[in-house]
Amino acid sequence: MGIGDDVIRMVPDRLKVQYPKLSDFSQPNVITTTADLVFAWARSRSVFPFTYGLACCAIEMLSSGFAKFDVARYGMEVFRPTPRQCDLMIVAGTVNEKMAPVLKRLYDQMSEPKWVVSMGACATSGGPFYDGYNVVNGVDKVVPVDVYIPGCPPRPEALFQGLLELQKVIRQYKFVPELPEVPEPAEPAERS
Amino acid sequence: MAREVGRVEITMEALFARLAADFGDGLGELRVQEPDTLVAAVERRALHALAERLKAHELGYETLNFIAAVDHVRHLEAVYHLYSWHTNTWLELHVEVPRGTAELDTVTDVWPGADWHEREAWDMMGIRFKGHPDLRRILLKDDFIGHPLRKDYVDRAENHPHV
Ligand code: SF4
Repeated sequence: MGIGDDVIRMVPDRLKVQYPKLSDFSQPNVITTTADLVFAWARSRSVFPFTYGLACCAIEMLSSGFAKFDVARYGMEVFRPTPRQCDLMIVAGTVNEKMAPVLKRLYDQMSEPKWVVSMGACATSGGPFYDGYNVVNGVDKVVPVDVYIPGCPPRPEALFQGLLELQKVIRQYKFVPELPEVPEPAEPAERS
Repeated sequence: MAREVGRVEITMEALFARLAADFGDGLGELRVQEPDTLVAAVERRALHALAERLKAHELGYETLNFIAAVDHVRHLEAVYHLYSWHTNTWLELHVEVPRGTAELDTVTDVWPGADWHEREAWDMMGIRFKGHPDLRRILLKDDFIGHPLRKDYVDRAENHPHV
């Protein structure tokens, strides 16, 4: 019995039907599954975050990328500074009114499918600067948010929990479009 | 053209006497505030001429490090932090600005680095600098209403048209 079988036994029964046993790979085999499941499985484990640090929360976001915390464990280590190469915007910090239109524009430039994580009290609600003359009270006033992470700042562990929640969100996503309903062909009219 | 900067050994007392003699009433209430800092009050109408003379002076203040703006409730105040590389000393010019017509002459033609500092003072404190080449807001968005660091600024929803 290899170590793979141990791991498989820890998986709850209701999930087992979706994954092949590791021992299956030792011989020629066929796996049947749905395209949605494969895409969701792959996408949720290769998220490309957008470097969107706006204030002190960005420091925690950076430290979660370094060796001690290492977001690479979840397949999310490739932070990109351009919206065209990203599918996750981690808004880490205070969004002010001058930044809001820029943030919206960059979000629009990201290619679908895309997700937004609001990291910290500031991005979620304005945080300590709620009454500020120049602060947007929550990034959800500007772009749709999938996961909110509380804290000022959230520790990297909290960010990871948020990202794991986000993986659940991504796995619910249907990547294959529903086929349009095809009307039944009409019965040919009977000749009389 | 930049002048050659020669280090001049001079005590604070001697520098004080020298500036007091050369500028007279131009530098009002001149005093030594810290071991390397002189402070003076300046008439706002005399500011520009004085700035030119200070920069051209033999022990002159060639660098404008910062322009601060202060709200004293009765009046506003602009504080020019100048630095001399000849004597390695600071000179602070305190210029009183009335609240109603908060206007000052620009010093961007004397120290070009004043550009963004004056824009910030206009943005936050509402001090208008006459003769500034491009007096726009610098930190807040262009359609912001009011000058938020003034003590009497009240934050209202109307000040934020698009949020
Ligand atoms: S939530 Fe706290 S730590 Fe994060 S950006 Fe705001 S003030 Fe900084």
